[in-house]
Amino acid sequence: MSAVARTGRALREKPWLWLLPLIIIVGIFYLYPVLDVIRLSFTNAHLLRPQYIYTLRTYERLFVSPGFMHMMRVTFIFVFASVVFQLLLGLVIALAVQAGIKRGLRGTVLTRTVVLVSWVIPGIVIGLIWRLLLSTSSFGIINYILYLIGLERVPFLYVPGLALFSVTLANIWRGTAFSMLLQYAGLQRIPEEFYEAATVDGAGTWQQFRFITMPQLRPILFLNLVLITIYTFNTFDMIMSLTMGGPGRSTEVISLYAYTTIWRQLNLSGGAAIAVFLLAINVITTLVYYLLHRIGAEQEVE
Amino acid sequence: MRGRKGLDSTSAFIYFSFALIIIFFGGPAIWVFSLSLRVPAEIFAFPPRIIPSIVAWWNYMDVWRLSDMGLYMYNSFKIIFFTVFGVLLVAVPASYAYSRFQFRGRQSTLFGLLVFQMISPLVIAIPLYRYMDQMGLLDTHIGVIMVYIAVQIPFTTWLLKGFFDSIPRSLDEAAMIDGCSRYSAMVRVVAPISAPGITAATIFNAIMSWSQFIIPFILLTRSHNFPVAVGILHFQDVTTETQLHLLAAASVMAMVPPILIFIGLQGFVVKVLISGAVKG
Repeated sequence: MSAVARTGRALREKPWLWLLPLIIIVGIFYLYPVLDVIRLSFTNAHLLRPQYIYTLRTYERLFVSPGFMHMMRVTFIFVFASVVFQLLLGLVIALAVQAGIKRGLRGTVLTRTVVLVSWVIPGIVIGLIWRLLLSTSSFGIINYILYLIGLERVPFLYVPGLALFSVTLANIWRGTAFSMLLQYAGLQRIPEEFYEAATVDGAGTWQQFRFITMPQLRPILFLNLVLITIYTFNTFDMIMSLTMGGPGRSTEVISLYAYTTIWRQLNLSGGAAIAVFLLAINVITTLVYYLLHRIGAEQEVE
Repeated sequence: MRGRKGLDSTSAFIYFSFALIIIFFGGPAIWVFSLSLRVPAEIFAFPPRIIPSIVAWWNYMDVWRLSDMGLYMYNSFKIIFFTVFGVLLVAVPASYAYSRFQFRGRQSTLFGLLVFQMISPLVIAIPLYRYMDQMGLLDTHIGVIMVYIAVQIPFTTWLLKGFFDSIPRSLDEAAMIDGCSRYSAMVRVVAPISAPGITAATIFNAIMSWSQFIIPFILLTRSHNFPVAVGILHFQDVTTETQLHLLAAASVMAMVPPILIFIGLQGFVVKVLISGAVKG
C-alpha cells in the first residue's frame, strides 16, 4: 500500500476512542459541575436543605445587594493594580535580564532564578510569608525597615485600605515571575539584526526601545495581559492565608465572596450565582486570549 | 564606544537593578528561613537580625515530631503520584489524537479545553462538594485525586499536543508502513521521542498539584487527610504567637520540594513553558 493511501486511511480514522478517557473525566468532573453550578444559580437552594425551587430572585437580590457592589470594587482594584504592576515589573525585569545576558554580566541567571522561585511557592505559603513580613510585631521586617527610615509602624493587615494594598502587593510579588517569563520569551524572539540596523542608523537606546522592542513585543504583551488578568481574578489561596478576606470584608475578592456566601452563610444558590459571574469573566477573557493567540499564529505563518 | 572592560555606567545600573530585584523577590523567603532557625526568645528580639545568634535547626525536628506536617507531606506525595499517573493516562492519547487526526469538533473542543483550564476550580468545587457527599467520596483521597486529574488535563493536553505537533508525521507513517498499528506507532515511535515533553508535563503537574488548595480545602474536612497546602493553613490556626518559629519552619518545609524541583530543572522547564504559552 502506498504512503498516500496510508495517509488517506489516517484521515478517516476515528479519534473518539483516543479521546474517550478525556471525555469521560472532563465530562464528569468539569463540564457537568459547570452546568450544574449554572442550574443552581437559578434556584433558591440552601446548603443544608435539599429541596429548592427555580427562581430568578437569587440574581435580583445579588445585583442590588450592597455587599456585591463592595466586592466588585475590591476585586476591581485588586485585579487592576496587580495586572498593571505585574506587567510593568515583569517587563522591566525581562529587559534587565536580557541586557545582563547580552553584556555577559555575572548574576543574571541568579536574578532570573530568584524571581521565578516566587512563582512555584504555593499560594497558601505566600500568604503566610507576607503575614509574617507585614506584622507589626518585631519580626515584621517591613515595619522594621520603615522604622529605620524614621517612619511610624504601619498596621498593614488591620486597616481596610492598607489590607487591600498588602494583598495586592503580595499578589504582585507572586505573579510578576510569570509575566517576566513571557515577556523574556518575547524579547528573545526579536531578531538581533533589527537592533544592529538601528545602531547603524544612529538610533539611541530609547529610540530602539520605542521603535523596535515595543512594537515587536506588543502581541505578547497583550497575551500576557489577558492571562494574568484571568489568574488574578481566580486568586483565592493567597488571600485566604494572608487576611481571610478581612479586616471586615475589605479584601474579599470575588472567589472568597462566593466561598463565604456558601460555606459561611450556607446560601448555596447565592454563591452559585457569584460563581457563574466569575465563570462568565473567565470565559470571556479566555475568548479574548484565544482570538489574540490565533491572530498571532496567523501573522507568524505570513 | 565605551570600553568592554571595566564597569561602565549602564552595567552598573543593571547590577543595581539586579540587587533590588533579588532583595524584593528573594528577601521574603530568606526572612522566613531566618525566622525558622530562631529560638522563641529571638523571634521578638529588637532590633531583628537576619542571622540568629543561636541557629535553632532543631525547630525542624520539632515540627516533624510535634505536628502533622509529616503526614501532610505523605498525603501530598500520595495524591500527586496518582494524579500525575492518571493525567498522563488520559492526556497522552488525547493529545496524540488532537495532533494527528482531523475531525469535526477538533477546534471547538480544543477551545473548550482552554476555557476549562482558565476556570477557577472554585466554580466546579461547589457542585462537586454535593456529588462527593452523595457518593460518599467527600473526605476521601480517591475523590480529590479524580478532581486533581480533571483540573490538570486541559493544560497537559495542550502542552503535549504542542510536543506531538513538532514531531514529523512521516515518522508515524513510516512505522505504520512497517506494519505498526496507529496505537503502537504512538507508543513505540512518537512517545519515546516526546519523552522530554512528557517529563515536563509530569513536573508541571507535580508542582501545580503541590500548590493546589481550593479542591482539597473544600472536599476534605478531617485533618489527617489534608495535603500540605491545606495542612499548613490548619497548622497556622493551631499555633500561637510563641510558636512562630515552628510556623516559619513548616512554611519552609512546604515550599522546599517545588523549589528544589524547579531549580534543578529550571532551564528545561522554562523552555517548555515558553514554547507552550507563546507558540501554543
